[in-house]
Amino acid sequence: MKQYKENHPTNKSVAVTSEDGNQSSNEIAGADQNILNLLDYMDNYLILVDSVSSSVRQGWLELASARYSMGASRVNSSLFDLKSHYASTTLQVDNGGTDTELPCFTLCKWTSSDEAKLEEDQLLKNKSDSLGSEKRKAEESGSPVTANNHAEKERFKSLSMFGTLVSPKLRATQSTFETTLETLVEMSNLRASLLCAYDQVQKDRETD
Amino acid sequence: MYGFEALTFNIHGGYLEAIVRGYRSGLLTAADYNNLCQCETLDDIKMHLSATEYGSYLQNEPSPLHTTTIVEKCTLKLVDEYKHMLTQATEPLSTFLEYITYGHMIDNVVLIVTGTLHERDVQELLEKCHPLGMFDSIATLAVAQNMRELYRLVLVDTPLAPYFSECITSEDLDDMNIEIMRNTLYKAYLEDFYRFCQKLGGATAEIMSDLLAFEADRRAVNITINSIGTELTRDDRRKLYSNFGLLYPYGHEELAVCEDMDQVRGAMEKYPPYQSIFSKLSYGESQILDKAFYEEEVKRLCLAFEQQFHYGVFFAYMRLGEQEIRNLMWISECVAQNQKSRVHDSVVFIF
Repeated sequence: MKQYKENHPTNKSVAVTSEDGNQSSNEIAGADQNILNLLDYMDNYLILVDSVSSSVRQGWLELASARYSMGASRVNSSLFDLKSHYASTTLQVDNGGTDTELPCFTLCKWTSSDEAKLEEDQLLKNKSDSLGSEKRKAEESGSPVTANNHAEKERFKSLSMFGTLVSPKLRATQSTFETTLETLVEMSNLRASLLCAYDQVQKDRETD
Repeated sequence: MYGFEALTFNIHGGYLEAIVRGYRSGLLTAADYNNLCQCETLDDIKMHLSATEYGSYLQNEPSPLHTTTIVEKCTLKLVDEYKHMLTQATEPLSTFLEYITYGHMIDNVVLIVTGTLHERDVQELLEKCHPLGMFDSIATLAVAQNMRELYRLVLVDTPLAPYFSECITSEDLDDMNIEIMRNTLYKAYLEDFYRFCQKLGGATAEIMSDLLAFEADRRAVNITINSIGTELTRDDRRKLYSNFGLLYPYGHEELAVCEDMDQVRGAMEKYPPYQSIFSKLSYGESQILDKAFYEEEVKRLCLAFEQQFHYGVFFAYMRLGEQEIRNLMWISECVAQNQKSRVHDSVVFIF
């Protein structure tokens, strides 16, 4: 049995029936599973790194294309808005409850700037409440059209620093960088899982 | 021949026509672009450009180069050539040459106003302004709160003053109002330039009418495409189209109600000169429309040099120079970003 195990160290489905066997075979199977998980996470992580790299390259080229189309005076860093304003996209980090140690990263895209101002400005409260209730109703009813319209409006607002009539190339650039941001958040979550799997593999090695 | 220009043109315009034709021969050729497209670094581009008219402008730039440096220095060359021609010109050529720069002036005004709205430093904005569009009181634009003040404090003493009559309001400047102001000013400028050229008559009127009509039509298409999906209403969109051009007035009526790229294509394919442009695009595609329009524009600008004794050659040279700078900007960006496979996406060969 031991010889069989040595010849097929990764064969989890082998029914080894030594006296102290079941527990140790389960431990070995568990350790193998942890290694496999680690390798899976690593593979997915590398795929996402590749994806981010190519989408960033594409985004920068599309930005250059937009500058070619609209002119350098309309697409340049001196038009960035330095006025205080709320971020249209935020990242929420959940450090995990008692059952899990993994942090969870969630991207909240295109949140309404009116909803953010509501907390501090009493004058806007009623308007924002009605906007907020409409948005909540839309979310509860699962209406994708309203949510999409809202996202489109927020996208349009954030691009307006370059003017309101911008080239489709600039909108494509925005879309590409938006995808890159989503991929980065996915990478963060995957990295958390990867590090956890790595710690688990380390523990298994120390136990052995 | 449209009149008796051959008898009298050279008295005042002969020297400058010769100068501008000399400048034209200095434009980069397809062989130059092929060499530039094979460069590995921006320093290679600088080395290749050292053998061209741009050589003296780039030779003292230290490494590492940046794409904005290359564009800035190449623009300086065009500006120097323009200034040389302007200082030598007499009326009405001097007014004609000044008209060529009003578009840049409008862009600079909008840049300053937009940047100020975004709380940017005025000096930083002035550095980004196009040198052909500078005027004395441009920095004062930063104090204006609405269009009325903009006009009263600054623009009343500039050549753009007559164009403001259509957009003077007391509304505060915001992104939408600024965009409408930009397009309204440009519309008024194009129409004024068109009338001026018609008044000049002869070959200048004929050639410039064609070039300005194409410019007006291209702007109409760009405004339509860029406003799809925005808050700009159909009426507001219609008001931004110029009142001349091949598309005026029926094409404008169709473009005003377009909601997607296919409808724009449907409206434009009725006009034979634009059918060939839109036939290069696949359905729903708008990415290469800019290049297609630039190619058509370059073709028309090069044809302007086939005739003598008119002012259209000056306009054509300045526009060809700007296209050359756009090409150099694109090539530099592709080289800097290590994306040489995409370099031919947007380069428009002039010769």
